[in-house]
Amino acid sequence: MTDTWPYLDVHQSRTHEPTPYEYKLAATLEEVFTREGHELADVVRGLNARQVHAADGSPWTEESFRAEMNRLGA
Amino acid sequence: MTLSSSATAEHIYATGLRNQWHPVVPSHFVAPGAMRKVTALGEQWLLFRRSDGVLSMLADRCPHRGAPLSLGKHLGDRVACWYHGVEVESDGTVSSVPGLPGCSLEGKKLVTSLPVREVAGAILAYFGDEEHPEPAELALPEPLTDPEVDAFLCYAEWNAPWRYAVENLLDPMHGAFLHHDSHTMFDGDTTAKFRIRETARGYFFEKTDQRGVNFDWVELCRTGVDWVDLSIPYPPSAGPGGPFGIVGMVCPVDEQRSGVFFWRYRRVEDWQRASWRFLYRTLIEQRHWDVLEQDRVMLEAMPADADQQENLYQHDLGVVRLRRLYRAAAEAQSTAGV
Ligand code: FES
Ligand SMILES: [Fe+2]
Repeated sequence: MTDTWPYLDVHQSRTHEPTPYEYKLAATLEEVFTREGHELADVVRGLNARQVHAADGSPWTEESFRAEMNRLGA
Repeated sequence: MTLSSSATAEHIYATGLRNQWHPVVPSHFVAPGAMRKVTALGEQWLLFRRSDGVLSMLADRCPHRGAPLSLGKHLGDRVACWYHGVEVESDGTVSSVPGLPGCSLEGKKLVTSLPVREVAGAILAYFGDEEHPEPAELALPEPLTDPEVDAFLCYAEWNAPWRYAVENLLDPMHGAFLHHDSHTMFDGDTTAKFRIRETARGYFFEKTDQRGVNFDWVELCRTGVDWVDLSIPYPPSAGPGGPFGIVGMVCPVDEQRSGVFFWRYRRVEDWQRASWRFLYRTLIEQRHWDVLEQDRVMLEAMPADADQQENLYQHDLGVVRLRRLYRAAAEAQSTAGV
């Protein structure tokens, strides 16, 4: 923790620098929210249609997406 | 050093109102077992945290000859002044004078200690003057206590007077201009009519002809601590959950500097909450920061006498109301010249 004035830190909510996978997922999620809507089913379909899959490469299901969001957004 | 009720109204207006709570720094600035020197309301203070987490805030002045206690040593449950070793407990009592055991200073409470509370990741302290040492009643902002609301704190330090930082929040119209090229405030009319709506705890300053588009309203709340509440729509990319809100507070550091506290909050739950939190950390926090930097750049560039040479118009009623309120409070708190 720095004691020097001024404290100007862009990132105060992160626990780590996002991985390339996290950046990609976040950017795609924003695009999906913008183009496909805000329903869970639409979001899962939108991600899969864009071939942006889970870390293990498998297509998203509502359950796996929910679990991953809960992990990344805890 | 304690806040003196003989300070002039001018000094109080410049360095922050007394006899109320103010935010100081984020909680994580003082780790367990650590100390941190801070300036607030123009005075020097020491934040001291025991290893079990209990926090206290002391005037940063040794009761012996005035050396800063912040240069001293953390002894677990007390601090030892570096100069001659006098030990002070977290409530301000001198527990020992090692150079002269049995000295009459021992057992006396000679250092001001401020009541503190930790709220949503921030340290709040009650800054009473010598005539009002007992803490004022404190009602916390509902968005910070409501379990259905999720919030991230953003803290920043600005070289701008505390009043400018609060006035900026009571001036919603700047959103449509200063923040026009931002992710959230690109939309909305650049002309508007405003009104003031009084409440039991402060007032609303709001557009009469637009809501839910830009930064269209703000509520000033004086509930033992001064804070503002406002709401701004997110673009669709932020996902479900509707607008985000801001609870804002300002720490008057000294005449030229302030600490600003912005809790960005959203009423979201389940996967919607998690996805907002994920996006916030990964992409949105940076965009919020860029907006805040626009405010900082503008406020830090304001001339020192900016509020002495103005030509105000209808959009500035919220600021005028705020100044009247703060000036009156500063007058009331000053016994100088009485
Ligand atoms: S000034 Fe602190 S012990 Fe003397
Ligand atoms: Fe702003």
